[in-house]
Amino acid sequence: MADKVELLQGTLDLIVLRALSTMGPQHAYGLAARLEQVAEHPLLLNQGTLYPALVRLEQKGWIKGAWQRTETNREAKYYSITKAGTRALEKQAERWRRLAGLVDKLLLNES
Amino acid sequence: MRRFITRVIHIFRRDRAEQELDRELTSHLAVLEDEYHRRGLTADEARLAARRAIGSTAHLKDLHRDARGFGWLDDLRQDVRHARRGLRRTPGFTAVAVLTLALGIGATTAIFSVVNALLLRPLPYPHGDRLVRLFATLPPQTPGGAERRVIVRMTAAERQQLRSSARSLSHVGTLNWDLMNLRGRDPRLQGAVVSATLLQLIGVPPLMGRLLTPADEAPGATPVIVISHDAWQRHFGGDPAIVGRTVTFDAVLGPPVSTKYVIVGVMPRTFQFPDGRTHVWRVPPPAWNDAPVAPFVGRLADGVSLSAALSEIAAVVRAMRAGQRDNARARYELVREQDEVVGSVKPALIVLMAAVGFVLLLACVNVANLLLARTASRQRELVIRTALGAGRARLVRHLLTESITLGVAGGLVGTALAFGGVRLLRSLAATISRLDLGNQLSFPRIDEIGIDPRVLAFSIGTSVLAGVMFGLVPALRHARADQATALREGTHATISGFDPMRRVGLRGGLVIAEIALAMMLLAGGGLLIRSFANLSSVETGYDATRVLTFQVAVPVDRYPVARLKAFADDLVTRLSAVPGVERAAYANQLPMVGLINSFPLRSSPFQPTPGRPPEPPPPGTPDIRLVSRDYLDVMGIRVIAGRGFAEADAAGRAGVMLINDALARRDFAGRNPIGETVYIGRYPEPWQIVGIVNNVRQFGLDLEAQPQFFVDLRQWTRDGLVFPAGAYYVAKTSGDALSIVPAVRGLVRQLDEEAVVFYVAPMEQVVSSTISRPRLYAVLLGVFAAIGVGLAVIGIYGVMAYAVAQRTREIGVRMALGAARGQVVGLVVRQSALLTVAGLAIGLAGAAMLSRYLEGLLFGVPPLDPVTFTAAAVIFALVALAAAYGPTRRATRVNPLVALRSE
Repeated sequence: MADKVELLQGTLDLIVLRALSTMGPQHAYGLAARLEQVAEHPLLLNQGTLYPALVRLEQKGWIKGAWQRTETNREAKYYSITKAGTRALEKQAERWRRLAGLVDKLLLNES
Repeated sequence: MRRFITRVIHIFRRDRAEQELDRELTSHLAVLEDEYHRRGLTADEARLAARRAIGSTAHLKDLHRDARGFGWLDDLRQDVRHARRGLRRTPGFTAVAVLTLALGIGATTAIFSVVNALLLRPLPYPHGDRLVRLFATLPPQTPGGAERRVIVRMTAAERQQLRSSARSLSHVGTLNWDLMNLRGRDPRLQGAVVSATLLQLIGVPPLMGRLLTPADEAPGATPVIVISHDAWQRHFGGDPAIVGRTVTFDAVLGPPVSTKYVIVGVMPRTFQFPDGRTHVWRVPPPAWNDAPVAPFVGRLADGVSLSAALSEIAAVVRAMRAGQRDNARARYELVREQDEVVGSVKPALIVLMAAVGFVLLLACVNVANLLLARTASRQRELVIRTALGAGRARLVRHLLTESITLGVAGGLVGTALAFGGVRLLRSLAATISRLDLGNQLSFPRIDEIGIDPRVLAFSIGTSVLAGVMFGLVPALRHARADQATALREGTHATISGFDPMRRVGLRGGLVIAEIALAMMLLAGGGLLIRSFANLSSVETGYDATRVLTFQVAVPVDRYPVARLKAFADDLVTRLSAVPGVERAAYANQLPMVGLINSFPLRSSPFQPTPGRPPEPPPPGTPDIRLVSRDYLDVMGIRVIAGRGFAEADAAGRAGVMLINDALARRDFAGRNPIGETVYIGRYPEPWQIVGIVNNVRQFGLDLEAQPQFFVDLRQWTRDGLVFPAGAYYVAKTSGDALSIVPAVRGLVRQLDEEAVVFYVAPMEQVVSSTISRPRLYAVLLGVFAAIGVGLAVIGIYGVMAYAVAQRTREIGVRMALGAARGQVVGLVVRQSALLTVAGLAIGLAGAAMLSRYLEGLLFGVPPLDPVTFTAAAVIFALVALAAAYGPTRRATRVNPLVALRSE
């Protein structure tokens, strides 16, 4: 089995926000499925791991949930990113890029 | 931040969130199933796969719950529910624990409400905390005599001087009690003589009219008064045109004049100054300006400390009184009014608070012991919890929640008890409130005692603290991570070994503490009870049984002194004829009435020294009593030498006087005073001493009898001070003293329609009122001691029962191995005896150390009274014996076969 990438709590939040921002409103399963698809890598231990992240983001007001019907006419809770979420996404993404760049530079120097 | 708020809100919407999550999970599962189904799995396989994909829902829900709420709060909710259920399952334990705690917390709350009202709350008017009084401690007048502490009084001139020179005071004024007679029903009104600036300083605007102003203090100003709302309603019927009305008040203290006052203002209903019983305010009359009779009161300037103010004021006062005797040796003291008001009960309050603290501690120790046993039986459950992942802290939290729940439950019941307790306290502390009997009589600020928010907060805080205190010990003991061994051990009773002390351990230690605390309470209570018993059995010098006392108010302007005397004579004669009355009399003063009229007795007529201003009589000067002929008979005062007053000692005849034993011993030591001629004060008439009477305790049962002399009123020709506070009538009845009251009222009305009877009281009630405070303390501490002993007894019984139950098997083994029944039982008894003795010893030692703080409250009993201590120890030993009896008996009944087979 391919080694699972350990994800920090904050980074999962960032990924979810980004996903919602690009893909539009998703329900929990849809999010999990898309994430695995795009990453080409088993990111999540199981799909349930998403829920704590979702509730955190919802409490912070960065995403909003609404009950709607899927194509197969099942009811599901669709999450969409809010304006505050978009702002937070930009800020977090910027921080992440800077951090990644810094780590990169350090690693580059070492080698 | 927003997240925090949402999390707080979540606390209240827990169920909704759970439902929402369930709904979402169901939908997620459904969607997953559809997806797998679409990919080609069968319905069952799809469902399984979907479940697997999501993972453990239980774990998920946990994570979700942790993320959305506060974890510990959910734990708390869970623990509380568990605690409630657990407590309900053992109603016996819960009832005993809650009741024990209720007693402790209730008593503590009740006493705290008194402490709160008297010591913590400021006086009920503005600036109350900055008013100060000046006291002087004067050196003894006679060698070997006592120092006197008096309040410093000043003349208007002195006050003015102080006002201009003392910068540490922002206001200088005067405040004193006052009694006035308002013509009509319920005549005697308590009032205050207060300087206008002081009333203005208090700053409460009047309901109607105006306040007093400095202009009212000027000589020649119209006499004005301000009345209280209560007086306006009760005495003037709420007359809306009251302002500007003129009323006649008869002065009670000082020369009997009736003065017309104009009512210039009515104060609001909630206004109290200096307390709730003052209903009339007037300025010091101009006549007082020359005599230093107005007690000084000042307001500390902001930011000035008491000590700084004292040095300045003392210096100014000393300079002002430079020429006077005693001035140099007087020590001055500046005291806050609010400390002065409660000063007489403060030491007792502290003692009571400490005592009730002991009771609370005892209750907590008792419940701790109970909890120890209960927690020990929950070992298995605790082990399982540990296995499920609970850390030590979590376990302790769980156990503490139960104990705090218990504490709060006890606190709730206790607070309910405290309401009744406070009411009981107030009725115990209440006495007949009469100004003539002195301010010391009534319990200060008693009307303010009640349960207010601060007291409630204290009660809640105490409950929680108590819960933590008694819960911590069992919790820490049993919340061990390594429980496996404990679990295994629980199935067998452990054998103790041969040394009974080795098993003392924690429970034994707690019981020793209980016994020690109870002993200290018992000793303290015993001391106070003995002291009160001493007080109430003091020889008063008169017989107070079946004696009714009362006063009559008559319009002063129609009754010059001669007519007053005639009225009194008339009334007394008629009263003696009433069926049920054996004899009646009157006097200018009764025992316990706090008036001092001193005249020195001289052996030759007084020669005035020109140029020397009159000085107040030094202490030790004998008191004069002006009485009617039968007074000594009615009061049962014995004549121990010579004769009493006779019919022949009438007006115009040679003056005769009776002196009391104290005066005879002091001033006539070695010679027979009977037959000697003396002169009273500055009066030129000679008086012959014809008899010596028994000492009468005039000012209080705990004070030594003062020198006194008696003169028959028929022979007293001076008008001054005949009845400084009105005539006091006494009547000896054959039945109950109060039964003749209607007859008295009828008689008085017959004599004068405008006369009013008041201050009606049996003499016994007057006397018992003067010892109401020692009675209160004795009752309270006695109750605490009883509760304490009761709790300790329960503790002893509990520990012994537990020990016997634990050692049933051991007893069985020993007996099976050949030990005699008595020997084995002796083991158990010896253990409890050792505990008791240890507790007694520690308790006695503690009591010996602490009893010195009771010194001020004791009368006739030393703090280390051997009788009380011995009695307390004996009583407690007996009680402990009784407590141990039951379990011991059970131990003797142990059947070794049954014991060996049991667990």
